[in-house]
Amino acid sequence: MKNDHSGGGGAGPAVGGPRPSPGFNRRSFLKAAGFTLAGAMVAGCDRRKVERAIPYLVKPEEVIPGTPTWYASTCGGCEAACGILIKNRDGRPIKIEGNPGHPLSGGGLCATGQAMVLSLYDSHRLRKPLLRGAETAWEEIDRVVTGRLTGLSGGEKGVRILTGSSPGPTTLAAVEAFLARFPDGKHVTVDALSASAISDAHEACYGRRFVPHYRFDRAKVIASFDADFLGTWLSPVEFTRAYRAGRSIDGTTPSMSHHVQFESRMSLTGSNADRRVVTRPDEQYRLLLRLTALVDRRAGRSPVTPDPGPDPAHEDELRRLAAALHARRGEGLVVCGSNHLPSQLLVAYLNHALGNTGAAADLASASGCRRGSDAAAAELLRELDGGGVGLLIVCDANPAYDWPGEGTFAAAISKADLSVVFASHANETSSVADIVLPRAHPLEEWDDAQPVPDLASVRQPAITPFGETRSLMSCLYRWAGDPVTDLEAIRRHWRANLYPRRATAAGTFDTFWNDTVYGGFARLKPGVASPGTFNGSAMNRCGGPGPRTRELVLELYPTVGLLDGRHAHNPWLQELPDPVTKVVWDNYASVSPATAADLGLRQEDIVRITPGGVALELPVLIQPGQADGTVAVALGYGRMGTDRFSGVGPEWFEAVHTVEPGETVGRNAGQAREMREGAIANWVVVPRPTQTGGTRVLARTQEYDSLTMPAGLAPEDGEPRPIIQEATLAAYAVSRTAGGHGKHELFDIWPDEHQFPNHRWAMSIDLTACTGCSACVVGCQAENNIPVVGKDEVSRNREMAWLRIDRYYSGDHGDVRVSHQPMLCQHCEHAPCETVCPTLATVHNDEGLNQQVYNRCVGTRYCSNNCPYKIRRFNWFDYPRGDEMARLVLNPDVAVRERGIMEKCSFCVQRIQEGKIRAREEHRPVADGDVKTACEQSCPAQAIVFGDLRDPESRISKLQSNPRMFRVLEETGTAPSIAYMTLVRNEGGADG
Amino acid sequence: MADPTTGLRRPLIGGDKSYADVTREVCAPLERKSPAAWWMTISAALAMLVVGVVAVTYQLRTGIGTWGLNNTVGWAFDITNFVFWIGIGHAGTLISAILFLFNQKWRTSVNRSAEAMTLFAVVCAGIFPVIHMGRPWLAHWVIPYPNARGPLWVNFRSPLVWDMFAISTYFIVSLVFWYVGLIPDLATIRDRAVSKVKKAVTNFFSFGWDGSNRTWHRYETIYLLLAGLATPLVVSVHTIVSWDFATSLIPGWHTTIFPPYFVAGAVFSGFAMVLTLMLVVRKVLHFEDYITLHHVDAMSKVIIATGGIVALAYATEFFVALYSGNEYERFTFVNRALGPYAWAYWIMVGCNIGIPQLLWSKKVRSNVAAVFVISLLINVGMWFERFVIITISLSRDYLPASWATYSPTTIEIATLVGSFGLFFTLFLLFSRFLPMIAIGEVKGVLKYGRPDGKEPRE
Repeated sequence: MKNDHSGGGGAGPAVGGPRPSPGFNRRSFLKAAGFTLAGAMVAGCDRRKVERAIPYLVKPEEVIPGTPTWYASTCGGCEAACGILIKNRDGRPIKIEGNPGHPLSGGGLCATGQAMVLSLYDSHRLRKPLLRGAETAWEEIDRVVTGRLTGLSGGEKGVRILTGSSPGPTTLAAVEAFLARFPDGKHVTVDALSASAISDAHEACYGRRFVPHYRFDRAKVIASFDADFLGTWLSPVEFTRAYRAGRSIDGTTPSMSHHVQFESRMSLTGSNADRRVVTRPDEQYRLLLRLTALVDRRAGRSPVTPDPGPDPAHEDELRRLAAALHARRGEGLVVCGSNHLPSQLLVAYLNHALGNTGAAADLASASGCRRGSDAAAAELLRELDGGGVGLLIVCDANPAYDWPGEGTFAAAISKADLSVVFASHANETSSVADIVLPRAHPLEEWDDAQPVPDLASVRQPAITPFGETRSLMSCLYRWAGDPVTDLEAIRRHWRANLYPRRATAAGTFDTFWNDTVYGGFARLKPGVASPGTFNGSAMNRCGGPGPRTRELVLELYPTVGLLDGRHAHNPWLQELPDPVTKVVWDNYASVSPATAADLGLRQEDIVRITPGGVALELPVLIQPGQADGTVAVALGYGRMGTDRFSGVGPEWFEAVHTVEPGETVGRNAGQAREMREGAIANWVVVPRPTQTGGTRVLARTQEYDSLTMPAGLAPEDGEPRPIIQEATLAAYAVSRTAGGHGKHELFDIWPDEHQFPNHRWAMSIDLTACTGCSACVVGCQAENNIPVVGKDEVSRNREMAWLRIDRYYSGDHGDVRVSHQPMLCQHCEHAPCETVCPTLATVHNDEGLNQQVYNRCVGTRYCSNNCPYKIRRFNWFDYPRGDEMARLVLNPDVAVRERGIMEKCSFCVQRIQEGKIRAREEHRPVADGDVKTACEQSCPAQAIVFGDLRDPESRISKLQSNPRMFRVLEETGTAPSIAYMTLVRNEGGADG
Repeated sequence: MADPTTGLRRPLIGGDKSYADVTREVCAPLERKSPAAWWMTISAALAMLVVGVVAVTYQLRTGIGTWGLNNTVGWAFDITNFVFWIGIGHAGTLISAILFLFNQKWRTSVNRSAEAMTLFAVVCAGIFPVIHMGRPWLAHWVIPYPNARGPLWVNFRSPLVWDMFAISTYFIVSLVFWYVGLIPDLATIRDRAVSKVKKAVTNFFSFGWDGSNRTWHRYETIYLLLAGLATPLVVSVHTIVSWDFATSLIPGWHTTIFPPYFVAGAVFSGFAMVLTLMLVVRKVLHFEDYITLHHVDAMSKVIIATGGIVALAYATEFFVALYSGNEYERFTFVNRALGPYAWAYWIMVGCNIGIPQLLWSKKVRSNVAAVFVISLLINVGMWFERFVIITISLSRDYLPASWATYSPTTIEIATLVGSFGLFFTLFLLFSRFLPMIAIGEVKGVLKYGRPDGKEPRE
């Protein structure tokens, strides 16, 4: 009997169709069984559905699968505009590194800059223009704006463009050209982290508004008043590099600058200072006046400003400093982070009077950072309130979030006839604007920058924009009837303005341009020849110091990472431990232990602080080394939309949200500032805070803060644990082994446990150079696909960072010292982890690496228990790694670890392999410096050196014989591959 | 042939029982309907077990992160429970093997239950090394066998591999020993069985025991051999478990005293657990004549002795830490006593050193309720001993920056509860289906201490 439904195998039984039922005979059973089996086999062979892996039909010339392409560009993380290299793999940027050739920043890059690559893949970024809240097409926007512009050419109402200091020369030219078309057009530059008083002071003294280009490498004596120049002030990467250059002690005669920091809170810079003087912010002006008087007297002049007389607390310190500055005339530097004009006038005067202006305080070369004017901000507010603004364009600024006064700007902007806001995310300002235009990510656009007059750099796109973005310059040209692309506009501007000023004479514009794009920057001839003469009468504006008060002062400061809050949507930066407090995912009210006792506050109590009508409810953090009578709160928190992070980290039933839905990460303290004497003051007097009765957990990556054992658990006179070696420069000048804990007599029962036939990788970390800036932490995170785990996991001490920076306090309350110690896998030769692993998942290789074999790991955690450095990280969960877009940032060279296995620093084994492959392709041995780990590469201070001990000429081999070298916990016999270098402080200001 | 000592010693078994009495009384719980009390207790035990199963299932699905462990404290409740249960298991082997070899005849009343307890405790213990793994589905990777994974071998330097050998050996030998001891009693049950099924099953498991002289001879030979085989295990298992810590680098773990210290502690806790269980069994199943006050007294004395060793170990540890001049070691011990977990340390000291001293008093030893409470407290103390060693040492080790506090999550507590649930469930099932007292052995000592060596009534 023939089957009447043969051939229907693929289609299956027709639904509802007439089909005789022949019964199920043996034949059809076998057929069906065979078909099912074959189908199951075919289905079973396909282990995992391959998605969207579309090969190139025509391979782009520059794309080689598996090989990165590097683009030189300019960092858009802040106004410092450091040089960067963008690593592209398969068409997508996966890492940002410093451009080693860059004259200012060198090869280093700060945490913020490196984290920018993650922001690129932020799915919350705006992608389309919004007209009154509704998505619309660019044509519609153009029509609305140009329609409004035609009504403004008469000049009855003004056109205002508000930006921060980010815009580069071409954008500035576009702004200028655009505004020139209107009788009342003005460009207002305001920085959220304002240095307006510096510019104002120099305008008063030199007749020109600028921020000097500070060169810390030229300074032998650095006096800093609240300037966090290693952390957040102006150009931290450049400053860190220069600071380190001025503190090189391994030469035949140790030469080290002497750094005195006057500050109220414990800043990153203060934590590195040779001497740190704790003062209230409202006392600083008095101290500056006194210092000026002392310096003047020393120079045989009568003081140009009122002398407040001896300072009861710090007279000795000021006298010492005045003597040091005087002795090192022309080789000193006074900087001040306060936005207080009279203070900045004194600083400008001191640098002038001490002859520092030709050297470390370079007046001939103005910095492009933070050139904004707070007075202009105040004027813009007045104009807006008066209804005199017909069109307001805001770009690279978020005034509704960070201008002083709650709701001030939001109320004012509504009075503009039309407001246009460029924003990367829906933000506080965009939510009150008529038109919101999506702002491209710095890795998506052409742009340029001019951090100093003799250096211009290009920003080139490394990927096609994800959204329908258009830059400010492009919009302005288009609205002015001159539709050019960004690249055309930049080339046009450069050809006309920068090319003629090029430092190298030869070459056509095209070669100049191509070289610039290739290298990332172009040297130009210095623009300003003479800084002008110092106008002494400006000092008349410096009045007396005012009365001393004991009122409580609220100080507001930016944090490393988030800065003014512009990076609040970046989870890497939110989870980057503060270099000093080690807190993540929050801001807090930090107070000194004495003030906490005074106010009856305990750690993590929530207090309500009410500066000028703004109410801030924040948890308390007790901070050693902070001035009594002050409360310090970080800016940059409380950003709109940060409740997106409520679901960050693993989800399980005891998990606590990083932020509750509808709330924000931290609280916005920017509006608590006040406009005072023409500038946004960074401290305000506040009434005594009240306790709300609640508490909030602060997630910190470090629970215990000192190398001295807790009181009661060790003898009173007990020595601190010998984990860090420290010495003063004076002692070091006498003996290069000063501060050493002595060599241990090590007994080794396996002297030849490992053979290293080809390479033996090792690292050294110079604690004198390391500032604790945490650039390496983010560098490592980006390179090694380290997940973000959220606040709850961090508070459970389960952060995943392979490289952490241990920070230890020492000394008493009046003089708290800080030591930073990067801690990562020590790649011990006798690794305690290796012996205990039951499955041989962690083994030593013949190049000295302690390897973790993820596939072999069953996750007993015994290795981590047995690690005296506790640098191993266990995958407690399958960590969510953001959405599909955020996962594009993953480095394809590094495995993404699954839950239940151990991981840790690999010495960037993928980079070692890459270096070896490159050397082999070029038929040469691996040279010193061919392999740089991500942390070494990112370090602005070049504190980390990585290399091959088998190469006797390598830097690392030479460092082995450095008398400052010590190994942490050497006495346990682990034989670590990482050597630390003694931390030397120039406390006495002596200089060998 | 009268025993010359007859009349000088108390009988081991009270109540002037005949052989038939013994058989009847020991088999009684197996043959009557389960009383309501049994149903209630097993329901409670099963409820605890279910809590544990739910917790472990959730943990296996979600990750070890559902425990309170952190980067610094990689083991806490998990390994504490593991060592605790392994320790509990020690009394069984000690009673059955070492006391057998030393001809301590009083062991016959308690050895069956103690051995069963050992097995169940090892089952409970064995769960933890598996579930504490990040990827427990690969737990077999710690076993060396020819494989297609490279082939990759285990790391014989790792104490965890030694553990695997030690515990599996211990479990197998204990199981065989217990089972061999059960054979004559299974035959007794068979002979008394009414239902055909029960007869067939017990006949199968008693290997067709015929009670002949030759069978008894073979039986006693193998029992002696097994006792010899099991004896070294009493020492080896906890020695090897202690090497998990002793061979490491962590102050508070890295201690040569650990093997004897752990073995003594294990016997200490094991006897406490035997007492806890036996005192309940004695009361509920009316075994007062079998488990006499003399037994309680003897076991209390073992507890005093091993408790003394434990106390000495605590003191030695402290002394060595202070005397060594090793600042890390010294700090670890001061931190145990005075640091943030001092409460755990003092619970341990109080329960393990303080409380057992009460047993020096004859009055206390003969007060069943008091001994019961003391045995419970010793169990608590010994759990805390392992917690103190494992968790406090880890939480503050070398680098102060990585110090971290640990607190357990609900899941961990539920898992601990579940392990007790499993233990009690198994023990209650045992009490219902197998004779809790070795009938054959008890009969052998029935005439012990009777005046003139009089044979019991037939």
